[in-house]
Amino acid sequence: MNRTTLRRLAALAALAAPLAAAPASPAALPRDVQARIEAGRPARVARVERDLRARAAALGLGAADTLRTESSFTDEGGRTVIHLVHLHQGARVLGSQLVVHVEQDGALRTFGHALAAGIVLPGGPSITRDAAVAAAQVRLGARGPLAAEPAVERIVFPTRFSGARAFELASGRSSIHRGYAGPLAGLAPYVWAWRVHLQVHNALDGAADWSFVVHGDTGEILRADDLLRRATPAVGTGLGWHRGPVSLDMSQMNDGTYALLDTTRGTLPNPNLSYYADDGSGWTPTGMQVWWEEHDATGASTWNSFLFQGNASSAWGDGQPFTSFGAESGPNGQSAGVDAMVGLRTTWDFFGSVFGRNGLDGNGTTPYATALCTGMVPAGDSWWSVGAFGGYFGVGTWPLLADGVDAPTDLDMVAHEATHGVTSPSWDRYFVDSPGYEEAGLDEATSDFFSEMTEIWAARSGSDPANAIPATPGDGQIGRTFLRTGPLRWFDRPSRDGRSVDGWFDGVKYMDGHFSSGPLNRALHFLARGASATAGDDTHSIYLPAGMAGIGNDSAARIWYRAVTEYLVPDLTGGLTYDDAREAALSAAADLFGAGSAEAAAVEDAFAAVNVGQDHAGTVHAKVWFKPWRNGDYIEIDHIYSDDAGKRQYFPRGENVRPRITVENAADTSVTWSVGGPSMWNGADYYTMAGGRIEADGSWTTPFQMGWHAITATSVADPTQFAEGRAFLVNLDMDSDLEQDATDMAELSYSWYLSNGLNPSHSVFIAPWVDDQDVSTFVDAMKAAWPVP
Amino acid sequence: MHSRSVHLAALASFALAAGCADSQGPATRLNYVDPTGSGWRLVRDPSSTPERLVLAIVGPVDLDTRGVGFNLRAPAGVRFRSFDSSGWPIESTGVYELGNQDPCPPTDPYPLPNCLPDPHPPEPVLLAGGLKPGNVLTVGIFQKDRRVSPKPSGVPLARIALEVDPAAGLRAGAPLPLEVLKAKYSPEDIGAFSPTPTQEQAEKGHGVLFTLAVGTLTTR
Repeated sequence: MNRTTLRRLAALAALAAPLAAAPASPAALPRDVQARIEAGRPARVARVERDLRARAAALGLGAADTLRTESSFTDEGGRTVIHLVHLHQGARVLGSQLVVHVEQDGALRTFGHALAAGIVLPGGPSITRDAAVAAAQVRLGARGPLAAEPAVERIVFPTRFSGARAFELASGRSSIHRGYAGPLAGLAPYVWAWRVHLQVHNALDGAADWSFVVHGDTGEILRADDLLRRATPAVGTGLGWHRGPVSLDMSQMNDGTYALLDTTRGTLPNPNLSYYADDGSGWTPTGMQVWWEEHDATGASTWNSFLFQGNASSAWGDGQPFTSFGAESGPNGQSAGVDAMVGLRTTWDFFGSVFGRNGLDGNGTTPYATALCTGMVPAGDSWWSVGAFGGYFGVGTWPLLADGVDAPTDLDMVAHEATHGVTSPSWDRYFVDSPGYEEAGLDEATSDFFSEMTEIWAARSGSDPANAIPATPGDGQIGRTFLRTGPLRWFDRPSRDGRSVDGWFDGVKYMDGHFSSGPLNRALHFLARGASATAGDDTHSIYLPAGMAGIGNDSAARIWYRAVTEYLVPDLTGGLTYDDAREAALSAAADLFGAGSAEAAAVEDAFAAVNVGQDHAGTVHAKVWFKPWRNGDYIEIDHIYSDDAGKRQYFPRGENVRPRITVENAADTSVTWSVGGPSMWNGADYYTMAGGRIEADGSWTTPFQMGWHAITATSVADPTQFAEGRAFLVNLDMDSDLEQDATDMAELSYSWYLSNGLNPSHSVFIAPWVDDQDVSTFVDAMKAAWPVP
Repeated sequence: MHSRSVHLAALASFALAAGCADSQGPATRLNYVDPTGSGWRLVRDPSSTPERLVLAIVGPVDLDTRGVGFNLRAPAGVRFRSFDSSGWPIESTGVYELGNQDPCPPTDPYPLPNCLPDPHPPEPVLLAGGLKPGNVLTVGIFQKDRRVSPKPSGVPLARIALEVDPAAGLRAGAPLPLEVLKAKYSPEDIGAFSPTPTQEQAEKGHGVLFTLAVGTLTTR
């Protein structure tokens, strides 16, 4: 029974047991019925809030705890979905929330992560919000000005969610790095903290968009989340100038010229554009729009950006790839702006027409795009900023470079980025999209899948209804033309790109989300279009060799849309997993088609085909996994400073050691071992190595390179099942006598809390200070290498 | 008692040499005679049981130290064991202060109005050990916090535990050589505390090698 199931059962016991069982939701209701139900939404929200208040004690909430409705909406089937967050003394308890479904008949069900019970945390943070901002700014390390005033929120922080990441503004790359970790051991379960949101867009720093959690008493950074939705430098797509003539909704400005400002899409202002002053031109931050990044004639960015405006006529673009640096607002540059606008508009319309969604975030908030970027995003890349609620699209490097990449403004790339606006609509609700979390793969796959669905929908014939997705197959690709040699990613067999994986394994979270997306991309593709029973076919799965029939694009998309909007609600901690995704999809399928329906069975088979859960026939596979390990026991505390907390094993370098592994669901629990792992295929894991010699029996002579090493264990009973784990190799020989032993602790002792400039203990880690993390690392490595009965 | 054990051990050696080993049964226990002298030494601890020999490390009475560690090789048939209390093959006697004296990290770049509660139950400490190839026990116990005072070392500072491996087939009365391969202590003067590193801190405080005396170990 997984974590989500436990959460659900607990919630049901607390809330839903006295109420009637919830029926499956019907298909879309007539609009007048929907409108009537929508009109009653405030009353239903109030009722739920009353019910929850009455059950506060049963939910483990005390006098200082309240639940605040964060958002609510009514879906096309008449269900009201209410997202509530937990407050303690008026401050949000991060990761503690409920999602409540109110059916038409008033039946209630709750979902989402469990509420944090029994919090006793008097007082409040002792450092000021300004001090918290200062601490976050120190961590950000920006040299230029902030793009916006920092947003700050007082919160209660469960310290089990601690996790810091390093990032380099210059390269825009984030990574796990111990050097940025603070001495976090021994924190209380809950602490006062400040959430601080910082954004920069300038020439000195590039673009950055981060959310920090700052300890309310010590000023330590407890958690850092990157809110930019980056594509990797090698990925992207778009030949927007190939999309041909299109009609555009635009604006005629006060001076009679035209702007790429579509006021028919967007009813709330864009949060980032709202910082710009009204220039009297007729511009407004409300209404979909496209901007461009300015360069000089050599292509050097000025780090200024402007709205596409001032066009004397309502005709835009020359239909050619961009080459005209220094004249971005001219016809050549306009072509990229047109493509970006088409992509953004089409995605907006897709979600509105098919699912009845009001814009990307469900509230009609204005999204915008910035095209022709080389600075705000690298020329061959694109990303979505949660804070800006907008996408940034590179200018491309072709045709100026013969082997370059095209501008990533084609529909599939723009739709991918814009779908991040659906899954991560604000700083208060976003998927964590960093290596180290399975949630990153779920996020990227969701964007890939709805990008594909958007393309299929946009290509429908005139006779196809606008509120359904045609059954026609798509191209099955993301970034179809971006590389100019082939697509960036594939749905049918994601490993065709040489980087993604086709099935889940323990350790898939270490991958960049664009590649850990592979299993979900494949599952959703199978769900829609089926899987082959013929070995060797691209749609054949070794985990579901008999294959399966698809249920069609429309049904698959409705199931997944319902799953991500009504069940798979992120709690800002990155805790959503592939198991959660399967369960969410099953719940959504049961809502739409019935628990015993063919569609629900197809969901089981589709996820089983990517090694997530049992298939509909109940086939059980062996499971190989690295349990959290420390001090010889499987625990998940203490080492909390990086995203893969608990999944590491520390060993001394240059010694013969034995990693630990767990095998379940198989009589034969033996494994074979190898160094390295699938997450290293993607080239995004710059800090992990494969080295040393590991024998089939798990005896590993570790290499002398310190740092992260990947090792893989594969089940002997079922070679399709394997796990990738992390080992950190440290040098324990701190007295340099060529022996690693416990007497080396003398050197660690005298250098504790000294900087590494004058002591030998920095050989444990490349760290600015020798602290308790080094202590625990030393003792962990000692016990892992040389256990004593 | 000590003199009798030595006498029996000598007889056992003679008997083995004379080809009368079969007259002795398999060993199940260890006997230990403390070494003489007042320097660093391993002595039998009163917590020893018939099945488990516990040895304590004791230092000179006129020496203050901040921690001690050593590597000890035992012959085949003798097993080092862990303590339930520590989970390690070394147990503190409580002389050394292992925790952080002041929970405020001294190196933060900005002032800290409050610090974490002290002590921290999961706070990592420098008490560790392992069994390296060759039946070599390596153990250490050190005060990590430079601000903690050094401690008089002429008392039991830490314990280790040994047992006979019944499967090894050792004969009672067999002499079992214990060999100290390395021993280091952390000295009293490791330089003044300062979060800013100084050359003084770099030059003082390295582990000091010393000779660790062991007694006579036999089976019975």
